[in-house]
Amino acid sequence: MRCFLKGKLPACLLAVVAMFGITTAAQADEPLLGFLYTTDLLPKHGQEVEQWVTWRHQKAGGRFDLLEGQTEYSYGATDSLQLSGYLIYDWTQAYRNGPDGTTTPPEPYSAYFPAPYSRFNSTKFIGAAFEAIWRVRSPYTDPVGVAFLFEPEIGPRFQELQVRAIFQKNFLDDRLVLVGNATWAPEVRELPGNPYADPDSVEFRRNTNIETDMNFGVGASYRFTSNWAVGWEIQNEREINQWNIFDHSQWMGNAVYTGPTIHYANQHFFATLTWWQQLPIAHNYMDPTMIVHGYDTDVDFEHTRVRLKVGYYF
Amino acid sequence: MKAQFLWVPAVAIVAVATPAYAKVYLSVEQAQQLMFPGATFTQQPLTLTGDQVHAIQKASNTEVLNPQLQLWKVSTGGWFIVDQVVGKHEFIPLAVGLDDSGAVKSIEILEYREAFGDGVRNPQWLAQFYGKRNGATLTLTKDIQNISGATLSSKHITDGVRRLLATYAIAIAAH
Repeated sequence: MRCFLKGKLPACLLAVVAMFGITTAAQADEPLLGFLYTTDLLPKHGQEVEQWVTWRHQKAGGRFDLLEGQTEYSYGATDSLQLSGYLIYDWTQAYRNGPDGTTTPPEPYSAYFPAPYSRFNSTKFIGAAFEAIWRVRSPYTDPVGVAFLFEPEIGPRFQELQVRAIFQKNFLDDRLVLVGNATWAPEVRELPGNPYADPDSVEFRRNTNIETDMNFGVGASYRFTSNWAVGWEIQNEREINQWNIFDHSQWMGNAVYTGPTIHYANQHFFATLTWWQQLPIAHNYMDPTMIVHGYDTDVDFEHTRVRLKVGYYF
Repeated sequence: MKAQFLWVPAVAIVAVATPAYAKVYLSVEQAQQLMFPGATFTQQPLTLTGDQVHAIQKASNTEVLNPQLQLWKVSTGGWFIVDQVVGKHEFIPLAVGLDDSGAVKSIEILEYREAFGDGVRNPQWLAQFYGKRNGATLTLTKDIQNISGATLSSKHITDGVRRLLATYAIAIAAH
């Protein structure tokens, strides 16, 4: 698509936002937390445009930054089914950030192989995704809210499916919200040969990389005054080589992230800011050299994640 | 820096986000005349004691947010109460009129500050509460029909009315 051509992206993104600039009544499914989901959805015919920016920072050493952008449109198909479509685009810079001091691009740039000690800097369209969240139990009328998220994502030589179970329990007149998320996300990447890899290795030739992410997170959000809430999240993230999540020999990284959130929302607008830090208690069962000072530094892990979400209902 | 483009959509959304304005449907005086036409109203200062708060919370299974009541005695008989319940983002101010016997005579939503869910102003939905008195179970989806897409507001108004009926029985009736 022409929209994704380098240099035209800012104008295209503005156009995406502008085309949703119609004002009608709607309700909030605003995210109380930055990374974990609640079971709150848009009502039937409610619409929303949402923008995420996630900054991933710092690996084993050197320099590493990844900015992930996501522009999303959501629609309430029914009061318990919300459909969304979104675009994902990234910018990154990396320099001698790997545990061995080589330059290692982040996971979305797995098909890029910079010279080991060079500076890497790139902007990339990652993919487009469709998301459906189906709420089967409401936290307002049932003892526990339950919802399921299905999210296929497709990009250049990349496919991922995310399935997430979401649980929510409210207290204190629904001002205190506890959530639990369990995520299963297999992904497939078609990779070109890495010219710097061992010529006898699989990576040296064109290959297919299959990986499965398993995440388990819990969080709490408390609305301490009108429009404002604070929260805290903690999530265990596990990466498994291939599909079989029960094959211990294929387990790779296992890290824990945690951090606070502040959230503001009014009738039509919300903003959520979350700061996550990896705890220095990580394991990498397949490649222990990826653990530096207790932190996993593999391609899908970094020390710090900061996410800003802003959205507008109409 | 190329990364700047990532902030463009975020800035655009913030730029189009307009300040929220509460939709005021009725003033207190307008609600009083709507519920009790021609009557005069005498404000009754009443602050709940700790024991009363505890008893009301136990009877209604709902938290008392403010022990200071906004209460008026009606010249033609009955009581007029202004209260508020938790909404999605802000409180929902409402007025409840009780007859001489403490039964709900009328309810009016004074302001609604949420983008969606103002179906709770629907007279037919509010009429479900009329005639109810302390002791009625008043549970959403059982005794009171839920408004789909406005569940949180429906639930909190239901809880709030149950709490005010308990407040009448415990603190107002003998006032």
